[in-house]
Amino acid sequence: MSESQFRDLGDAVSDESYPDIDLALRRGRHIDQQDGPWYAYLLDAVAFLEPFYRRFGAELVHVNDGYFYLLPTSDRLGKRHLSVPEMLVGQTLALLYLDPLTVQEGGSVTRDEVLGHLASVMGSEALIRALHSKKKRVDERVAQEAVRQKVHDALRRLSTLGFVELLNGEQLKLRPALLRFAESVRGADSPAEALAKLVAKGEAVLGDGEAGEADSDAESPEGAAQDAEE
Amino acid sequence: MSEKLTVGTADPARLLAELVERKVSLELSTLDLGFVALLAARALQAGLASFTEAQLTDAFELTCQTMDPSLDNLKLRATHAIRRLREQRMLVRVDGAGVVRAGEFALSRLASAIVEFFLEEEVLTRESLTLLTRSLLGSLSEILQAAEVADSDDSWRIGVTAPLRVTVNELISGIERRQRGLDVQQEEFQREMSKLLEVDWFNAIDRCQTLLDSTAKTLRELNEILLRDTHLLLSILADVSDVALQRSRPDVEAVTRRVMEQIDRIAAWGSARQRAWSEYYEYVHRYLRDIVRLDPSRALTQRLRSQLSEHAARPFALTVAAAPPLRLLRSVLPPEPPLPVRRPKREKEEEDDLPAEATKDPLGELEAQVTELLLQGVNDLAELTARVTADLPLSEQFLAAGRVAHFVARLARPPVNSRRPWVPVNSGLVIEEWRLKKANVGHE
Repeated sequence: MSESQFRDLGDAVSDESYPDIDLALRRGRHIDQQDGPWYAYLLDAVAFLEPFYRRFGAELVHVNDGYFYLLPTSDRLGKRHLSVPEMLVGQTLALLYLDPLTVQEGGSVTRDEVLGHLASVMGSEALIRALHSKKKRVDERVAQEAVRQKVHDALRRLSTLGFVELLNGEQLKLRPALLRFAESVRGADSPAEALAKLVAKGEAVLGDGEAGEADSDAESPEGAAQDAEE
Repeated sequence: MSEKLTVGTADPARLLAELVERKVSLELSTLDLGFVALLAARALQAGLASFTEAQLTDAFELTCQTMDPSLDNLKLRATHAIRRLREQRMLVRVDGAGVVRAGEFALSRLASAIVEFFLEEEVLTRESLTLLTRSLLGSLSEILQAAEVADSDDSWRIGVTAPLRVTVNELISGIERRQRGLDVQQEEFQREMSKLLEVDWFNAIDRCQTLLDSTAKTLRELNEILLRDTHLLLSILADVSDVALQRSRPDVEAVTRRVMEQIDRIAAWGSARQRAWSEYYEYVHRYLRDIVRLDPSRALTQRLRSQLSEHAARPFALTVAAAPPLRLLRSVLPPEPPLPVRRPKREKEEEDDLPAEATKDPLGELEAQVTELLLQGVNDLAELTARVTADLPLSEQFLAAGRVAHFVARLARPPVNSRRPWVPVNSGLVIEEWRLKKANVGHE
């Protein structure tokens, strides 16, 4: 095993990359090989940074799939749970990441493919119910537009967390951290047992997580129109 | 006749306008392409420079029998196909006999290029690249020697400019064509790799690895040759450009510069492909290692799909760090306080200069003037206003006119139903004219 270029924590923290990497990790960013120098820095400094972050109530997790992230184990650092749209879109992206057809494009997909895949796995009705559940009577066109908007917002938020990279136009680059969405179905355990273990480690929570930015239909013009109709 | 446009130098808008004006279009069915390909193959094998109509019809019939045996009326179809190809400049008549006899036809440059693209895979290999770059080096060395001894317009044209434009251009086009062929081949590799994984999954690992390694090796070799040889080519071209500059030959400089740009593009292609393939190589390696090897039965995909479809019934959410952003206090200079709203003060008149009448009631005076004039029999508001405001400055006349109208309305009875034309009063003032019928001075 090659030696680290850093002699101690002071050295690691004095490196010019540290401030940006630290801020990114604290904001939930997953860092993988595509981040180039950041990933190389973390590989080099992980032995010093792990105990450092533990003092803040967080674990610096390095996954064999090739990415790092910070997992809060207490309330000192600040944490959140992904919202329903983010979870649905994240799992869809993970499915596309596993799909061999994506290999042809080097791990790139389009937004339309994400939406199409999500709708084909969940079913359109179930998808609308999951992402646009507040109204009893649903105007189909309005509901579909709301679903598209929520998927779009979820993609944007997942990209800030390093799960996906938004390229020009409609293209998205899938990143290894998406395999986090498949952790509960990877091992030999049943999905329920695996999920329970993740919850015990603080990696996940049962339930719907946080409300997203656009979850409240009453705030949207479409929601207001729906209210007026009713 | 319009000037011939070249893609490299023409204004894009003009280029497009030219195409629209000429109504250029291309529409070829698979049968048409097959027909053209067969003609190209026969021309090559039999050494034919042109085809008679009978030979064209025969080739078309063979194409139909091979590609679509259900077709009938082949002779009529052949006539239509030949006409279509002529209209689209794929076939050109090469004899000058007109209606005297049946013509002879040859494939145009367009047809040859299309056949070449679809059928002849000119892929860039180590051998083809080395041959082309060595030929280029040889040609450029000769051009440099010619430039050094050229002493007339003709010698420059024949020894330098023409070879740069024609020979060198052809060699560079050859490299570019083969680069495009390699790009197409790489796309095929990627598609093949995806299909192998889709069909064989775990058993496709070795084959995918072999494909990756062979392409990476090819690209590495090509890039090495390109980097080495383009450096030499650019060096010779720089020498040619220097000689042209010393001999004041701007035309030669311009042609040399264009060739240097083409060679730069070729070198840039190599670096870009190397980079892109490295990323793809790394991605596929990671995919094979982290996904295919660890999940030989593809169970993970099925389980994840079930998890997603059942998410509403068994929801869960991943935890991520979300530290609030740090407050970074900036040193900000407070803005200047806004200037207070003020209006310019008029200069105060000296008390000694004020006339004695300034202390009297100006409204009362105005009313007295109006009353006086009404008693005198002035019954036009315009005349009344003109007399009262005659001595007033322009800035006060408008206000005074309003007051005069007010007093007149109180003291007299302006007619309601009659027309009230607008008439000028003094200079700069226009009022509605009232023709007063009866003055009722003193009564309101």
